[in-house]
Amino acid sequence: MTRLLLKNFVRAKGLMLGLLLLFIAGCISLYIGHRFIEQNKETVEQSAHFQQENIERYVEYNQSSIGTLLYYLRFGLVHQAPHLVGLAIGQRDINPSVISVNIRNLEEQKYTSALMNPMYQLLGNMDFSFVLLYFFPLIIIAFCYNLVSEEKEEGIWDMILSQTAQPLQMLSIKLGIRFASVMGVLLLLLTLAGLGLNIPLDKAFVSFCLVAIVYVVFWFCLTCLVISFHLSSSQNALVLLLSWISLTLILPASVHALSTYLYPIPEAYGTVLESRDGYHTQWDKPKEPTIAQFHAQYPQFSSYNHPSDQEFSWLWYFAMQQMGDQHAANDAKVLAEKLRARGAFSQAMGWVIPTIHTQLSLNSLSQSDLLHHLHFLEALEDFHEDKRLYFYPKIFENAAVAEEDWSDFGLAFHQKPLEISGAQTVLPPLLASFLLLFLARMNWRMKMFIEKN
Amino acid sequence: MLIAENLTKIYGQQTALWQLNLEIKAGEIFALLGQNGAGKTTTIHCLLGFILPTEGAAYINGLEVTKNLTVARKQVAYIPETVMLYPNLTGAENLAFFSSLAGFKYSTNELEAYLTYAGLQAEAHHRRLGGYSKGMRQKVGIAIAVAKQVKALLLDEPTSGLDPKAANEFSSILKNMAEKGTAILMATHDIFRAKEIADRIGIMKEGNLVSIIKASSVTTHALEELYLQMV
Repeated sequence: MTRLLLKNFVRAKGLMLGLLLLFIAGCISLYIGHRFIEQNKETVEQSAHFQQENIERYVEYNQSSIGTLLYYLRFGLVHQAPHLVGLAIGQRDINPSVISVNIRNLEEQKYTSALMNPMYQLLGNMDFSFVLLYFFPLIIIAFCYNLVSEEKEEGIWDMILSQTAQPLQMLSIKLGIRFASVMGVLLLLLTLAGLGLNIPLDKAFVSFCLVAIVYVVFWFCLTCLVISFHLSSSQNALVLLLSWISLTLILPASVHALSTYLYPIPEAYGTVLESRDGYHTQWDKPKEPTIAQFHAQYPQFSSYNHPSDQEFSWLWYFAMQQMGDQHAANDAKVLAEKLRARGAFSQAMGWVIPTIHTQLSLNSLSQSDLLHHLHFLEALEDFHEDKRLYFYPKIFENAAVAEEDWSDFGLAFHQKPLEISGAQTVLPPLLASFLLLFLARMNWRMKMFIEKN
Repeated sequence: MLIAENLTKIYGQQTALWQLNLEIKAGEIFALLGQNGAGKTTTIHCLLGFILPTEGAAYINGLEVTKNLTVARKQVAYIPETVMLYPNLTGAENLAFFSSLAGFKYSTNELEAYLTYAGLQAEAHHRRLGGYSKGMRQKVGIAIAVAKQVKALLLDEPTSGLDPKAANEFSSILKNMAEKGTAILMATHDIFRAKEIADRIGIMKEGNLVSIIKASSVTTHALEELYLQMV
C-alpha cells in the first residue's frame, strides 16, 4: 500500500513542483546566508586593516602628545558570528558586527553603527529561518489540506470505506509520505547548509536542526487537527491559511506591539541626550567638581590633578567625557533592562506561540538575537573601560608616544559562550504538537465512526 | 446472507427509509427498483455501515453491521454508480491498492487475471486511470469487488452509463458470481436489466419497499407496467 501511495504522490506533478520550489527557496536562502557570512568576514578583515592603518597614520602625525593621539584613535571590538548565523541572520543585519570606539564618552559611540545599504534593511533577508518559518508551513498546507477531502470530493472515499473499516491506517501512510518528503527537503537543505556554510556539527547546529524539525512536526500536527474535522477542501484550506496568517504574521506582530506597549523605552533617546549634556555642560562649569567626581570614580588616579595655571589639561578633558557616561548610566541601565524584559516577554509568549518560539530559538542558537547583542554591548563597555584604564595613566603622565608598541592594538573579539537548554529549545512546540495530535486523534475517533454524512 | 430488519433511517423531518425487512440468500440476485430518493442508496449505505440506521439493524452473514463493522465490511463488496479511483495509478495499481486495503496482496499475474475477468482489455491494465472511460473504470471496480472474494455484493446503479455490450458483460459477471454463492443486492433504474439478471425484484417508493416480485413470474412489459403503477 505504501509503495502505491508513494507512486500516486510522486506522479502528482503539483506536489513535486511544490517540493522543488521549496528546495529552490531553501538554496537561495543558503546563498544569502553564505553571502552574509562572507560580507561579515570581509568587514572584519577590512576593519582590522583600517584600524592598523589608522593607528599608524595618527601615531606618525601625533608624536608629541599621547592625549591628542588617543583623542582620535579607535579600537574595534568584533561581535564574532558563528557560521550558523548564515541560517538565521536575525538582528545581525541591523546591528554592527564591529564597533570601533575611542576612549572618550562611550554611550554615543555604542549606537554608531556601520554604514549599510538601506535597501537590504527595507527588504530584509530571505535567510533559511525565513524559508522555514514562512514557506515550509505553506507547502505543508498545500500538501495536506485535502488529505481526506480529496478522496471524498472525487468520490473515491466510498470505495475506500467499502474496502476497509479502518481508513486511518491508509491516511496515516498518506500523511507519512508527505511528512517524509517535506522532512527530506529540510534535512537535505540542512546538510547542504552544513557543508556549504562550513557549519561545524556541534551542539548548536544539532539543536538548530531539532528546532527546525519540531517546527515542521508542529505544522503537520496542526494540519492533522484541521483535517480531522472532515471539512471540505476549501474549508480546510481557508482554516489552515488563516492559521498561517495568525501564527506567522498577526500573533508575532501583536506580541511585538504588546511588548513595546508594556516596556516603552524613552530611555533610548534620553541616554544619548544625557550623555551629551553630561559632557558638554562641563565646559562652562568649574573644573574642580568635575575632577573630584573623576577621582571619586577612579581613586587610583587621585594623584593626578589639573594644573592650576593651565586652562586645559587631558585629565580635565577625559574627566568631562567621563561625566557624559556617568550622567547617562542610569538611563543606559534602564534601557538594557527593558530590552531584556522585552526579550523575556517574547520568550514567555513563545511557550504558547510556536512560531515566535522557533524564531527566537533559531536566532538565539545562531547568536543573532537581541540578548546576544546586549551582551556584546556589555562586553564593549568592559573593552572600553579596559582601554581607558590602560591609557589614562599614560595620558596623564604624557608618556612618549614612541614608547608604546602600537602594532599590538589589533581588533579584539567577543563571543558569548552559548548556553543551550534542551527543554527550553524544543519543548514548547513539541508540547503543542502532542496536544494537537491528541486532539486530532480524538476528533478522528469521533468523526470516523460509521456516520459518513 | 444479507438481512435488513426493520431498517429505518430518518434525517430530521425526512424519512429516507422506513421499516425495511428484506433477506437475500447466498447465490441470489435481488434488484431494487425505484425513483430517485426512493431509499435504494440509503438501504445499501446502511448495509455497508456507511450510515447508522435510526432504527432496526442490517446483517451481513449473520453479523450486525453496526456492532461488527470491521468484520462485516470484510465480507461485502460495493460498486457505486460511478467508480472513482486514483487517476495517477494504473488499473492494475488501483486494483492492487484497493485489494491491499481489504488485506489482499496479489501478484501482477493475479491482478491481470482479475482485470481480464472483469472485461478490461489487456492493453489498458497498465495505463493510468486518467485516460479511462466510465465503462473501463467500472470494470476496474468490478475487478476490485471480485478480488475481495466476498460473500455479499452491493451495487448502486452499476450499469448506468455503460454501453449495451459492457452492460451485458457486466450482467454475465454478476450471474457468474451468484452461481458461486455470492448474495447480490443491486439498486437500479434499468427495468430490463433487473428482469434479465435478478431472481427477485423489489420496488421502493418514498422509503418503503412496496412490492417484491419473482423475476421469472413476470414479463419485462408487465414489470414495467407494475413499476409505473406503483411509483
